[in-house]
Amino acid sequence: MDEAKIAAYVGSTAAVLGLPLPPERAARVVAHLQRTAALAALLDAAPLAPHDELAEIYSPAAFPSIDDKGSLL
Amino acid sequence: MKTIAFDASAMAAAVAAGKVSARELVDASLACIAATDGRVNAFTETTRDRARAEADAVDARRARGEALGPLAGVPYAVKNLFDIEGLTTLAGSKVNRGLPAASADAVLVTQMKAAGAVLVGALNMDEYAYGFTTENTHYGPCRNPHDLTRIAGGSSGGSGAAVAAGQAPVTLGSDTNGSIRVPSSLCGVWGLKPTFGRLSRRGSYPFVHSIDHLGPLASSLAGLALAYDALQQPDPLDPGCHALRVQPVLPSLGNGVEGLRIGVLGGYFHDNAAPEAREVAALAAATLGASSEVQWPDASLARAAAFIITASEGGSLHLDDLRTRADDFEPLSVDRFIAGALQPVDWYLRAQRFRRVYRDKVNALFQDWDVLLTPATPVSAPVIGTEWLQLNGTRQPCRAAMGLLTQPISFAGCPVVAAPLWPAGTGGMPIGVQIIAAPWREDLAFRAAQVLGEAGVAHVKPVKR
Repeated sequence: MDEAKIAAYVGSTAAVLGLPLPPERAARVVAHLQRTAALAALLDAAPLAPHDELAEIYSPAAFPSIDDKGSLL
Repeated sequence: MKTIAFDASAMAAAVAAGKVSARELVDASLACIAATDGRVNAFTETTRDRARAEADAVDARRARGEALGPLAGVPYAVKNLFDIEGLTTLAGSKVNRGLPAASADAVLVTQMKAAGAVLVGALNMDEYAYGFTTENTHYGPCRNPHDLTRIAGGSSGGSGAAVAAGQAPVTLGSDTNGSIRVPSSLCGVWGLKPTFGRLSRRGSYPFVHSIDHLGPLASSLAGLALAYDALQQPDPLDPGCHALRVQPVLPSLGNGVEGLRIGVLGGYFHDNAAPEAREVAALAAATLGASSEVQWPDASLARAAAFIITASEGGSLHLDDLRTRADDFEPLSVDRFIAGALQPVDWYLRAQRFRRVYRDKVNALFQDWDVLLTPATPVSAPVIGTEWLQLNGTRQPCRAAMGLLTQPISFAGCPVVAAPLWPAGTGGMPIGVQIIAAPWREDLAFRAAQVLGEAGVAHVKPVKR
């Protein structure tokens, strides 16, 4: 991706997040993000179906080991 | 000092038999640390008083005729991201120095203590585990005991180096993208990255919640198995701990590999390994009777996804401190943390969606195979400060390249035993082989590792002094 566009993105996103970025550091961050953009492009090109969900570990509560009548499931 | 093999299994047996006291073992460990750590820099802190108190408690139990734990009297140390009661958990950082001391031990430290092991200290690491080299600017680089000019690997560099230097026969580390397997490989010690969700992470400083694993490193496979079995305990309070019961590996360790379908990974894993790394994988394969080359699914995509998730979660975790005191971070990783915090959310979500599809492909592969082999690192340990690596005609950033072969495997969450092998042409430096099994089948990886050990192919070498 175009370096100037990444630099503009880094500047504006850092501002939104309230993250101060001196110019020298910003240049290094742009270089890192540019490398990651190439990895993201690989993934972007990989097919994913609408039903392919996130590999989350969230759970609302542990699955019960007994039912609501007190019997072992 | 009586002569006891530098092996947790032999040490525990000797303590149980009264051939040596736990106090003698811990004093020998502390003396070794005092004599060698000025050069190696594996430790950031020793816990001398606690160690002697724990050792004396083991000796008192034996004197009273009480049962001893399976690791009774065995000295061990932990990466400094594990909580140790009374110490501040540094996680390799300067920033964390301002945090209060831990009020309790991490769950795995509690497990080790319950097994009778004796904690001798906290170990050096890459800051917040974001690195593969333990070139820590705040605490100094951890040096490879087999060649002090070279890296020990990372991020659990102190954990690998302490075992290789003979300071402690068992250590604990963490592995998100390779941080147990890379130092195991470069220092020539045994290491285990268990199944994602096997061991509790409670009381350890996180790096990437979605991918963080904890595990042991050891000077012998028997010691690794002993420690791993002692560490197992389901923990409903760690949302990432999925194990519902203990599944010990020691009972089946000597069952051999007859009937197991064992293959060697090709494609990406061949292309990203130097000839000396291919050599150790081929030697392990020949020893185990494996001749088939196997294609691991979507390895490049998995590495990309692991890289993106790591950067996003790591960057977000430290955003508050990055806003206010970025200059206190490790210069080698702070810009990557910031870049991670700025990544578009689509990159992260796509990587997490890919992970589920990927998991299904990897699990399908293990319908046809029991154990798969590949090197743990592309090369043997580079010289400290190396920026670029020539790998099969391509120029790679050296620090990131250390994780090329480990990242796709941990992203799937499969268990891996890293076995220490010693190729020709590396000036005596080791390269590990990853012995990979399906999720929850650590037992199969251990059985294959045992065969490599019995054949004399994989083993730990003492450091030349």
